[in-house]
Amino acid sequence: MILVPVTYKGGIYRHDEIMDLIEDLGGYIIQKHVIAQEVVLQALVPKDDIELIRRIGKPLTGEIFASPLVGTEIAVVSPSLEIHHLPHASCDTAEYIRRNGAKTNMVGLARGFGKRIAQLNDEERDVINEHDLAVYLLGDFEACIAHKFPVLRRGITVPIVLCGGPSTEVLKSLIDPPVEGYVGSIGRFMHRTKESEELSRLDEIIEVITAVLDRRRVELAKDPLSVSPARLMNVVNEKVDAIHDVLSPTPVTVQMTGLRVKLPYDTFAIVLKKTEIEGGTTIGDVADIRPSRMRDYILIRVKPFSETNVFI
Amino acid sequence: MEAVEYFKVECPEEAGGSYYLRIADVVLLDHNLVRVVKKLHLFIDPRIPLFIAVGVTQKLPGIVRLRDFADVNQQEGKVTVSIGNEAYLAPLLKILWEKFGKDRVEQPDRFTIIMNLSSEESEGLEDLPVFDPSTTIYKDLIYALQVIQPEGFKVRRQYYGNGKFYLVASEDTLPENIEDLVREKFALIGESL
Repeated sequence: MILVPVTYKGGIYRHDEIMDLIEDLGGYIIQKHVIAQEVVLQALVPKDDIELIRRIGKPLTGEIFASPLVGTEIAVVSPSLEIHHLPHASCDTAEYIRRNGAKTNMVGLARGFGKRIAQLNDEERDVINEHDLAVYLLGDFEACIAHKFPVLRRGITVPIVLCGGPSTEVLKSLIDPPVEGYVGSIGRFMHRTKESEELSRLDEIIEVITAVLDRRRVELAKDPLSVSPARLMNVVNEKVDAIHDVLSPTPVTVQMTGLRVKLPYDTFAIVLKKTEIEGGTTIGDVADIRPSRMRDYILIRVKPFSETNVFI
Repeated sequence: MEAVEYFKVECPEEAGGSYYLRIADVVLLDHNLVRVVKKLHLFIDPRIPLFIAVGVTQKLPGIVRLRDFADVNQQEGKVTVSIGNEAYLAPLLKILWEKFGKDRVEQPDRFTIIMNLSSEESEGLEDLPVFDPSTTIYKDLIYALQVIQPEGFKVRRQYYGNGKFYLVASEDTLPENIEDLVREKFALIGESL
């Protein structure tokens, strides 16, 4: 069964029927937003059943569309959180990616500004590495990007999509070794992105991110994970009661190869490790449970099939 | 930016320069400074790195004196000030408190100030300078230029006065000949420092 990331938008009336349907079909609801009279569900659903959900959702004024970024956590890295980059350049991009289904976290570097003086500290590096992908939003000048980017990427192991003021071709020529994706003509700006040209730049960022993540999915499919992170999320939600007391918008964040569980590591790492998934297999058997550098959260990294010889 | 007589960005990188033209435009608009600036020349060289902004302001409104916004009525040592425009009340009270002491300045309601002053003390009270709009405008202007400049340029030098202003900024120590460079830029807009 191939699960496809989708977004369902519809009225709040009888939306529980759609949620039940997705779960009955073997899909997973990653996130649910209720905004006034509207419900937005981000879910992974079986590819063959999308039409069925569309048909059942139609009388409820619901629509369903593909959003390839559902189930990913993306870091939007800005050289700082000063007025030079906020709110428009960083927030507009982060929000646009969020609307396309990803969980985005903005990472404002403590000393990422400037050309010669730009730095990346170990905490920032580790936090960025906990994500599925990092989008770097740099400035307008070639000279600055060429000089500071090698410092800002040092130690980063996740795929990087680089955005900057110079054109995409120029960005490509500046960066060595190459990164996974480039989007040019979107550097520093001080106004809201409203014009169609600017919005098409944001669309381009989504396209590039999607392409990079698709390549990553193909790689992962060669040695599949022992358990799907979305399924693991359901297990945590069902069996660890404390997760329902967490007030974060996403107490369990689904990533491509694991989960971020927003519970304190010291207390709950053992609990999670011993939590049973199915038939005596526990989370500890199929995944590494590590402390996250983000607050005192827990990071679960699912091991591939080749390591565990278990497939649930 | 039609209101600005001269507005140019000089930059060795063409694309970067055009982005900064837009940034400067938006920032000055956001800070309501388009009507204040008459000429503005920005020089950015990210290779050095160096940022120079030089410019000239429009003719600014003069100093606001007490008689411009209040009536002063003197009767046998009792001075009554009736405020017409509340905008300058706070700076006025501060000046009066400093000059005569808090206990001698009574304010029975928002628009009235009563003081017991000798004739010497109350002489020329109507001409008391209360507020100089140029100080805040220059401060706003320098702040706006700091927003425009590339981020991380922490070494700065700024100047304003006689209708002219400049701001130079860099990550490194400013070059020794920085004033000559500023003069060169002023020459470009047809002014001298």
